[in-house]
Amino acid sequence: MTATVTVVEPPDLADKRRALVLAEDRVGHYPEFRDYFVRIFDLDRIGLARPGYLVAPSGGIYELVFVGRSGEAFPCGVEINAIVDALEPIDEGVVDRDLWAILHWMIAGVGTPWSVENLDATGRLYRLPAAGS
Amino acid sequence: MAFVGAFDRSASPCGAFVVALRMSDLALSSVLPEHILRQWPYAPRFARVNGWRMHYVDEGAGDPIVLLHGNPTWGFLYRDVVPPLVAAGYRVIVPDMIGFGLSEKPTREHAHSLDGHSANLVALVRQLGLRRMTLVCHDWGGPTGLSCALAHPERMRALVIMSTWAWPMPPAEFHTRIFPWRTMHAPLVGPYLLGRHNALAGRGVYLSVVDRERFRQRAQAAYEAVLPDPATRLLTWTWPRWIPLDEKGRATARFEWLEQRLARCKLPTLIIWGREDEVFDASTFAQRFKRLLPHAEGPHLVTGRHFLQEDSGPEIAALILEFVGRTPRTGDQ
Repeated sequence: MTATVTVVEPPDLADKRRALVLAEDRVGHYPEFRDYFVRIFDLDRIGLARPGYLVAPSGGIYELVFVGRSGEAFPCGVEINAIVDALEPIDEGVVDRDLWAILHWMIAGVGTPWSVENLDATGRLYRLPAAGS
Repeated sequence: MAFVGAFDRSASPCGAFVVALRMSDLALSSVLPEHILRQWPYAPRFARVNGWRMHYVDEGAGDPIVLLHGNPTWGFLYRDVVPPLVAAGYRVIVPDMIGFGLSEKPTREHAHSLDGHSANLVALVRQLGLRRMTLVCHDWGGPTGLSCALAHPERMRALVIMSTWAWPMPPAEFHTRIFPWRTMHAPLVGPYLLGRHNALAGRGVYLSVVDRERFRQRAQAAYEAVLPDPATRLLTWTWPRWIPLDEKGRATARFEWLEQRLARCKLPTLIIWGREDEVFDASTFAQRFKRLLPHAEGPHLVTGRHFLQEDSGPEIAALILEFVGRTPRTGDQ
């Protein structure tokens, strides 16, 4: 699952809209998570200039908007938008599975002591559909 | 949530106004299932505290006993405790922490802090003019309630402490583990697991009671129903991040203050703990409270995991009544 999430260049957004599907106000609560996004999206150089983009297992594109906050290391937050056809509702089941895959990708990238095995175990403990519970 | 009915304004002894909004039965039943409403028949009241709209119930007359819940519950947790206390001649006040229950639920993470939640409680205590007060603290109702009590001992009669902590890191080995605790509230995982899927109010509480089938039938819907949307569940993953795991924790200074003040506290105190509590195990946590407060009674062990009120509400009420009845009526100043 982890391998099916890839970073891509900004897509053509004509006739598309951004649908907010997940938001994190404190991506640096564990600093290694912030470090991961900084490294993957070159945020120390790019800053707020442009979002990051991912392709998820469904083929859907997700936009990562990084959020800054005075007095805190950048980024302090991240918002994930599904890029969807402008007038079409999102498919919540697809989005949910894609988000789970993005979490896998993130945890695998952050690395030890975090692991996708523990993420899966947590998902099964709480009986998440995307975790195969 | 719609409010229907008249405003009932009454001046509190300290001069501030407490606004009690009477929601229609229709409005309340749109939030809570019928079998939950039957167990929680109390008039909802609301007060403006520290800039937020707080829901609470206020039943009976006499010296006040304030029942404080934590994450991710609300006053309903005390449904089996309230009636015996009221019947015994106490005024029983059960606030819903801002962010939980029927209280306002801020949607910005930075709206929440340990000191802010303690100040919310201080505001309610002042508005209601509470004196000779017994505070019953559970989970995050511990750090917030004890902060309130130790900052205002002149209003206090007694303390009851259940399944909580009040000192710096780390609270338990459980809280240092990657699985499941730290993964559950990790960046983006918390908003997904606890936000989109409401994992703590549903499955999480279920896993932390002894009689799970009884809980599923009688109570689980009460905790899930008041957190209907991901944005309303923010505090369920925000509170875990306030538990200090190292000296850089945001609340470390407040927990150091709490520990120091508790060590000097002479308030009559009762410690009650769940025998099966695996999150805040009695042998570690209840005993540490006992060392901080050597004069405290207990720990009395009752059937219960972390949410011990679900399994032993009437027994907890009996312990509180027997204890408070023997304490001097202090806290008039």
